[in-house]
Amino acid sequence: MVYAALLAAGCAGVKPSAAPAPSAAPVTPSVAEPAKSGPPAAASAPAVTAPPTSPAAAPAPPAQTAARPPAPEAKAPAKTAAAPVAAATKAAPPAEAAKPKAPPLDLKALEANLKETKAIGVLTKLSLKNQVDDLLAQFRAFYQGKLKTTLAELRRPFDLLVLKLLALLQDSDPSLAAAIIASREAIWGILSDPVKFASLNGG
Amino acid sequence: MMNKRAILGMLSIAAALAAGATSAADDAMVKKDLTAVIALQGLPCGQVTEVKTLGENDHMASCQDGNRYHVFINAQGRVVAQKQ
Repeated sequence: MVYAALLAAGCAGVKPSAAPAPSAAPVTPSVAEPAKSGPPAAASAPAVTAPPTSPAAAPAPPAQTAARPPAPEAKAPAKTAAAPVAAATKAAPPAEAAKPKAPPLDLKALEANLKETKAIGVLTKLSLKNQVDDLLAQFRAFYQGKLKTTLAELRRPFDLLVLKLLALLQDSDPSLAAAIIASREAIWGILSDPVKFASLNGG
Repeated sequence: MMNKRAILGMLSIAAALAAGATSAADDAMVKKDLTAVIALQGLPCGQVTEVKTLGENDHMASCQDGNRYHVFINAQGRVVAQKQ
């Protein structure tokens, strides 16, 4: 878990700008679907400040992407102008490998770890919970149209709360702090998506 | 006989010392907890230097900068830091 968190946090520093996925997508539509199983928030992960361990955690290609190359090659002979297409598909696997791995978002585990950590006291935990509840109430009001604001405006209190949490944890429980850094964008992905947010409230 | 007495005496001293150390550690934990709570509320304090416990989750905290706060959990389950 800790390793996975560090891995994801390290990968968060890798910019996905070198991903020519759009060119490869029309060629292999059936293969591309399983590869998108990760949370959508992973694409915006570079906004997170990467911890110093990032270079060590970078070379970890997912097992699924390793199995991908044979499929495009099998399709290539069917087309007459296969050469440029094949080149495009051949360029795709390294880009997939360079893509940041989905953060290990396990809200239940994160919540349990926060409850159990001895790095912060009971009153501090309760105070943090109050502030998390306040933030969730703000999002609820926003999605219900009761709060006139924007998602960009709501990002500020979210970031502030994460920073407070990290400030409290980084010295006493660095592994939990790393897990939070790794999950930060995924959590924002849930909060900023009305459907996911609704399911979060329901579940 | 003397040996037994001496051992018992040493044990009781060790127990007292351990209890004192635990109490000091608890005190430091409470101070740290209250410092964090006050900071989370965005109130000026610096560090909590003295704590007077009034009840369960009910403390009077004196800060490094001279401020004093009553920190407690209200009926709604919220942690409140009231400036005194």
